[in-house]
Amino acid sequence: MMQGPAGPSNTVETTAPVLGIGAVGKRFGATRVLQNFTLEVAEGEIVTLLGPSGCGKTTLLRCVAGFWEPNGGTIEIDGQDIVDVPVNRRPVGVVFQSYALFPHLTVARNVGYALRMRNRPRAEVAQRVASVLETVSLTGFENRYPSQLSGGQQQRVAIARVLVMEPRVLLLDEPFNALDAKLRGAMQVELRQLIKRLGLTSIFVTHDQEEALTMSDRIAVMSGGKIEQVASPDEIFDRPATAYVADFIGVSNFWETQAETGHVRLPDGQTVMTDLTGGVKVMTRPHNLRLGPPEAGPWKGTVSFHRNVGPLIEYHVEASDGNVIRVSAMRQERDRPVKDRSQVSLSVIDPASCSVYPG
Amino acid sequence: MAEAAIHRRITPPGFGEQVADALLSGRGIWPAVPAIVVLTVVAVIPFAILLSLGFSDFEISRGAIVSQTFSLAHLTNALTDPLYWITFQRSMNLALSTTALCLLLGYPVAYLFLTGGRWTKRLILVLTIAPLLTSGIVRTYAWLVILGGRGVLNSALLQTGLIDQALRIMNTHWAVLIGMVQIHLPVMILPLIAVMSRHDSRLVEASENLGASRIGTLRTVILPLSVPGIGTGSALVFTLTYTTFVVPQILGGGNYLNAATMIYEQVVFSLEWSKGSVSSLILMVTCLIVLVAIALLTNHFTKWTKGHDA
Ligand SMILES: Nc1ncnc2c1ncn2[C@@H]1O[C@H](COP(=O)(O)OP(=O)(O)OP(=O)(O)O)[C@@H](O)[C@H]1O
Ligand SMILES: [Mg+2]
Repeated sequence: MMQGPAGPSNTVETTAPVLGIGAVGKRFGATRVLQNFTLEVAEGEIVTLLGPSGCGKTTLLRCVAGFWEPNGGTIEIDGQDIVDVPVNRRPVGVVFQSYALFPHLTVARNVGYALRMRNRPRAEVAQRVASVLETVSLTGFENRYPSQLSGGQQQRVAIARVLVMEPRVLLLDEPFNALDAKLRGAMQVELRQLIKRLGLTSIFVTHDQEEALTMSDRIAVMSGGKIEQVASPDEIFDRPATAYVADFIGVSNFWETQAETGHVRLPDGQTVMTDLTGGVKVMTRPHNLRLGPPEAGPWKGTVSFHRNVGPLIEYHVEASDGNVIRVSAMRQERDRPVKDRSQVSLSVIDPASCSVYPG
Repeated sequence: MAEAAIHRRITPPGFGEQVADALLSGRGIWPAVPAIVVLTVVAVIPFAILLSLGFSDFEISRGAIVSQTFSLAHLTNALTDPLYWITFQRSMNLALSTTALCLLLGYPVAYLFLTGGRWTKRLILVLTIAPLLTSGIVRTYAWLVILGGRGVLNSALLQTGLIDQALRIMNTHWAVLIGMVQIHLPVMILPLIAVMSRHDSRLVEASENLGASRIGTLRTVILPLSVPGIGTGSALVFTLTYTTFVVPQILGGGNYLNAATMIYEQVVFSLEWSKGSVSSLILMVTCLIVLVAIALLTNHFTKWTKGHDA
């Protein structure tokens, strides 16, 4: 089932999802942790579940893996409902948050575990273990115990242990949590490339938005056991479907105002089209705003803080209406940054890139 | 605050403080000192006296030892006396079979504790610990009521017609074995539970996720990880049963001679202190041999815990 380089099977039926989760619910006593959760994952796609702590990400993974039984709904793999299939017969591989490596088994035996449980011949086990260990660059570590490995190495073992059984669906629950920031960044890219190369259909869980943007083909932003929006990283960032998503992903500026017929007037005088009426919330990203001299426009403010973030300068501007607006600009060597406490005017660069939500 | 710091530096700690510091420092032998003192007074010294009696000929007059000469006679007598061999063999058999049965019966209970829900866990804990709240003697007498000629078991079997003559269980090897197993079962179950619940429950899930059946998981994950518990439980049960006195005395009906009852008779009835002393020594040495064997086996199966030199 591990996909080779684009075989003929890749060209047929590309539309049927590999994993289909339909209206899944999960309760613990009176608390509803998942509500009407629906998601489809296509062949070879990485979908990330992104959401705050406690929103039900792990719960969903545990239902798909079969550790918990959902209260209603369907979970299908290649069109077959697997809700009644026992854990050890599901073609699903889980990389646990804590890795859950077997402490009493060496790296090689950890990785070969799934094959031994399927009674594969010794020679085949040895050969496949060696090849998977090579895939995750752990050749030479065969005879170590997990306690003798660094966090990053343990994590590779956890991934290798699941890859060896060639799962149809791969579930990863915050696999980078235990790693330091730098290693994390490197492993994200590496893991994404590995999953893509193997063509594994995956659900990836995180509450780190940058990680989600790096890893995913699509991101499902969750809140309180439901999906707020599921879309490509670009679309989630540029066109957040709800104010919640906009607030959760990236830095956002909101201001509340009244919609007039067919449009909303921005503080700098420009207008944005909308179908909404009454009270609305307008959102735009810091890079869609520009600072100018105080006399250049009607929307005035005072710079209260600025800092350099790599190639960007980030400003906090206290607008005359009391909002604190965040603006970012490319840092160019010649430009002196606008000083704190200086008077400025604000303007929106592209009104069409603003989002309008019901107030 | 600065004043307090200076004050602390220039005042030498009092003697009491020094002792308390040493005891609590957790370094060297200090934290064990109170236990060592108590054990020396109540165990090591009396035992040394007892041993000295086993390796000497002595005379007692008016309650005090008046002359004592070194002798190996008691030891050689004991080692050549078939009664000793039979008795110690009986003790060893009883202890080993009790340990094996406790493990066989206790392991599934501990497994149930591991896999069961909240209420299963509570029930198991209560049922395991409750018997420990009553004295072993009371529990042993309870078996008299059950196993006796007109006891609960025989009445039930007779009434249902499964047998037509009362079984003779009391005062046999079987009665002793049954009583021993029941009394020592908690001592096996508790360390098993303690060791098993120390491990991440995700390991069991990971195993099943990787395709292992329940049995496969038990064999390849739960069992190897519970070896330290098996070792501890077995060592405890073995030591307790090998040296036990009460159960054989009561359920064996006074004619069941094991090492402890033999020592009791030698010391209390026939006042042969030297014999008693040698018997105690044999009991202790043979017990240690088995304990070392258990420790070596446990170590062999838990090599992975000593990660660094693998
Ligand atoms: N066994 C359980 N019994 C009762 N409630 C539970 C149980 N497991 C999880 N919950 C609840 O379900 C909710 C979702 O938990 P879940 O572990 O899925 O969150 P999560 O999104 O993975 O969070 P995190 O990012 O912190 O890992 C939480 O409010 C949690 O308290
Ligand atoms: Mg979680």
